[in-house]
Amino acid sequence: MRPGSLLDRGWRVIGTGISFAVFGLGAVLISLTLFPVLRLISPDPAVARRRIQGAMRQTFRLFAWFMATLGVMSYEFRGRERLAAPGRLIVANHPSLIDVVLIISLMPSVDCIVKRGLWRNPFLRWPVRWAGYIPNHTPEQLIEDCSQALRAGRSLLVFPEGTRTVPGQPLQFRRGAAQIALAARCEVVPITITQTLPTLTKGEKWYQVAHQRSHWVVSVDEPIRTEPFLQGPPAVGARRLTQHLLDYYTARLGSHAAAV
Amino acid sequence: MRSQQEVFEQVKKTLVDLFEIDAAKVVPGANLYADLDIDSIDAIDLILELKAYTGKRIDPEQFKHVRTIDDLVTAVQQLLNETPAA
Repeated sequence: MRPGSLLDRGWRVIGTGISFAVFGLGAVLISLTLFPVLRLISPDPAVARRRIQGAMRQTFRLFAWFMATLGVMSYEFRGRERLAAPGRLIVANHPSLIDVVLIISLMPSVDCIVKRGLWRNPFLRWPVRWAGYIPNHTPEQLIEDCSQALRAGRSLLVFPEGTRTVPGQPLQFRRGAAQIALAARCEVVPITITQTLPTLTKGEKWYQVAHQRSHWVVSVDEPIRTEPFLQGPPAVGARRLTQHLLDYYTARLGSHAAAV
Repeated sequence: MRSQQEVFEQVKKTLVDLFEIDAAKVVPGANLYADLDIDSIDAIDLILELKAYTGKRIDPEQFKHVRTIDDLVTAVQQLLNETPAA
């Protein structure tokens, strides 16, 4: 290995550490300052939600820029204009820890599903509530809450895998995303996320950086219509739509892997 | 009173109709979650369907312990054999 690349690697470990620290401290700081202020100046909860989601977007945008500026990673977006229309279910594969940062940085306003535990977190319990994020209660309740948000014309982001991809394993989708889309009768906008080198993946420690800087491509693809899946029993429709999405992503990611 | 075999056939038919599960996979020892890929939302559909079949009110608690087809058949049979509340 060339000494230059060793230095580069060492810097990326430090830069990643800085990024994690900034993210954690920034989250606490903003939760105690910016978000309460936005809530206070917006008596209407719907307005507060939109403003807080907007602030979330700008901070994530800043954070993505910060990581790229440190040289920890680089990224590009494709087809972002496809995210303009609201009221659609946004789905994405989930290779890394920062996928949600990159996607939210693109969207003026988007609802997310957040771990129920955060509603008890001293710093985040109020921001997640004000932002209108949806806690993962029982599956039935979750699907009801999510489809309601979509029917109300909001956008919702869901990772059908339910967790980050296990590197080297075939993709596995849970059926929740399809069930939500069918319950809301809305279009599904698929986002494909690829990295040139596996970084910040599941089961890796943050300091295990790749041998080179990884480049993320976040590609917003053509929306998928769900009407064809609405015929017959809902459980069958959800199975078919899930399979359709799985085949779609397997093909998209397979062709990417072959291209690299 | 319906026999265990009858109940089993009904359960199998329900699974095939509702979820397009391959009938050959529906065997007494099959695990609903691991082998037949039933998720919690499916479980609710399934209970509603069995409610229609048995004509009884179903307390989801009664199905909490159900893991396999065998468990399910036993639970449904118990429902059918309950004396209707006066």
